[in-house]
Amino acid sequence: MSDDNFKIQRNLWENPWGYVESFFIGFGLIITGLFLEVFSSSKNAFTISYPYNVFFLVGYMLLLFMLFKWFSNTQLIRWLTKVPASISSIALVTFMVMIMGIIPQVTSQNNLINNLGLNHITSNWAFLLILFQFLTCLGLISIKRILQFKWSNFGFILNHVGLFLTLIAGILGTGDLQRLSLNVYEGKPNWIATDLNGQEVELPFAFYLKDFLIDEYNPKLALVDNKTGSISHNDGKNLYLVEKGETYYFHNFEVKINEFFPNSGRFGKRYEPVNEIGSPPSASISVKNTKTDSVQNAWISSGSFRYPYESFKISEDYSVVMTIPEVKKFSSDIDILTKEGERISTILEVNKPYKYKGWKIYQLSYDEKMGKWSNLSVLELVKDPWLPLIYTGIFMMIAGAIYMFWMGNKITKNN
Amino acid sequence: MTWIDFPLYGSIIGILWIIGLLFLVISYKKQAVLKIANLLFITGWAVLLLFVIKLWLELDRPPMRTLGETRLWYATFLPLIGFVTYIRWKYKWFLAYSIGMATMFLAINYLNPETYSKTLMPALQSPWFIPHVLVYLFSYAVLAASSIVAIKGWYDSYKQKFNIETLKLADNLVYIGFAFLTLGLLFGALWAKEAWGHYWTWDPKEVWAFLTWMGYLIYIHYRNFHIHKTKQALTILAMAFVVLLVCWFGVNYLPVANTSVHTYTNY
Ligand code: HEM
Repeated sequence: MSDDNFKIQRNLWENPWGYVESFFIGFGLIITGLFLEVFSSSKNAFTISYPYNVFFLVGYMLLLFMLFKWFSNTQLIRWLTKVPASISSIALVTFMVMIMGIIPQVTSQNNLINNLGLNHITSNWAFLLILFQFLTCLGLISIKRILQFKWSNFGFILNHVGLFLTLIAGILGTGDLQRLSLNVYEGKPNWIATDLNGQEVELPFAFYLKDFLIDEYNPKLALVDNKTGSISHNDGKNLYLVEKGETYYFHNFEVKINEFFPNSGRFGKRYEPVNEIGSPPSASISVKNTKTDSVQNAWISSGSFRYPYESFKISEDYSVVMTIPEVKKFSSDIDILTKEGERISTILEVNKPYKYKGWKIYQLSYDEKMGKWSNLSVLELVKDPWLPLIYTGIFMMIAGAIYMFWMGNKITKNN
Repeated sequence: MTWIDFPLYGSIIGILWIIGLLFLVISYKKQAVLKIANLLFITGWAVLLLFVIKLWLELDRPPMRTLGETRLWYATFLPLIGFVTYIRWKYKWFLAYSIGMATMFLAINYLNPETYSKTLMPALQSPWFIPHVLVYLFSYAVLAASSIVAIKGWYDSYKQKFNIETLKLADNLVYIGFAFLTLGLLFGALWAKEAWGHYWTWDPKEVWAFLTWMGYLIYIHYRNFHIHKTKQALTILAMAFVVLLVCWFGVNYLPVANTSVHTYTNY
């Protein structure tokens, strides 16, 4: 593009449109969108679902293609395939997203924010319109470079087409995205899920929870300030994991862990390992005051939803407590039962979803109050038919990024 | 082999790398010395690799469950990215930076032995976690460097002795940094999909990461088509960096902060 142009006196809206005109048009789109927000009666988010989104996609691509093929001499298309239109739309999309990054996207105290729809930017007409211009620019220049294919355009196509695919499939795909959650209790098959609006959805297959398992980290040892009841920071060090045989130091106290039981119950003065619901972890500790050399022994326990916790007061100021163990891993051993009488066994775990009949099944949560004795597992089912298209786009962009890293830019290379 | 041996291994690696860094500094005067530096880096890296492999065999699972283990991976992969970048772009300070960061992660592990067992919540125990954080770490460093170059450019043009080479260096750094930033965003999206079933939720941290990305996108396009408008390019670069800083540190202070899921990722 020519910097020389800049120096020639040029009137507004005269050929070719530059930055001023581009931002003019961009702001025009945003203001139109805000008017639509204020005056349109429907407050529902705009989504289209199958088959209309497919029609839209095909129609939009054909339109872009035809515009480029037959109308590329018109003012509008020339403008859309040049950099000022792109940069202004990138900048204005950035501007709209920045609003989202500053104003919390929930119903606001401020009526202006509510009326202009600034608390739901992703479905705000102003955002959608400017995004539409952004996509149109991106689509047109992608077509341009694809048609004049050269190997040196390879990186360009990966980046621009990849982004185009990811965005368009992501936007159009929301209408077809199904996200259900399903509670399943140990021993009770369930096939009734609920969708995001709380509606019940009957699935063509059922889940049967054989076992819900939680792996916990050991509890931690902490020093509590008796006056405030809050955890006292031991010179900024982390809390210590309770492990048999370890010795830890807090101020002038040496705490040795003699015994540790992950599941235990109190019997008289001591704890013993037991295996029943709600049996808390416990540890026997010896605390030595290094100033006075006096040693005290005690049992401490983090307690559970059934049993109280037990701490140990080591001085006027401090007590030693055991924190509630944190979860390391949780998983569900489930069977999927089909109408045809099939039975598929699998284990669901966080970060390890299972694919079945177009659904991805995720381990979402459990009864947190019951912790490791939870016999409830909450699953999430997601169906996202547009995923392959989105992934194609994402992997093109990954390849494009690697290309970009390796090749560098042409400005530096030409010299 | 367990973490008990770490102080020994860690010190060996640390010493090798620090001496290597010294040689690297000297190599700015005497190029030939760089070979020695590289040799020291590679030897240190081999020792680190040995430790990781033995630890893995000992634990009988990928060491990726605790913060300490995660840092060990950062320390392993940072020099690798540094080397690839060096081989391609010959930025020596860059190699130094990545080795320095890796040394720092080893040092943190050494100084906080109790954090070996600091617990990592289930969602973070993903093979995507490390690449995601790592490429971000790297990208921020490179983009920050590009801004330092931009400041030099401003200063030079103020002194009326601006050299276009300065901006070209900034360009190259932006390209490298932007490539890693893109990878960071995309790895994050792929991971979120695996862990929670959606790739993008417009969480505040995601919003600002996206804004940062867009900021540099403007710079890249502007530079490409207005090669001679250096002042404007420098301004865009400075603004993009401000957005990056908000993303890095500032998100927690914005009104949107309490809706973020990213507040626990303090590596
Ligand atoms: C993944 C993100 C993107 C990357 C890495 C990227 C990178 C680039 C690069 C390196 C160039 C110059 C390359 C060349 O001339 O061969 C370029 C050109 C261009 N880009 Fe992008 N870009 C991205 C997204 C976008 C977006 C979102 C738009 C528009 C909304 C856009 C519009 C343009 C235009 C109009 C050109 C000039 C094309 C021409 O004149 O043929 N780019 N881009």
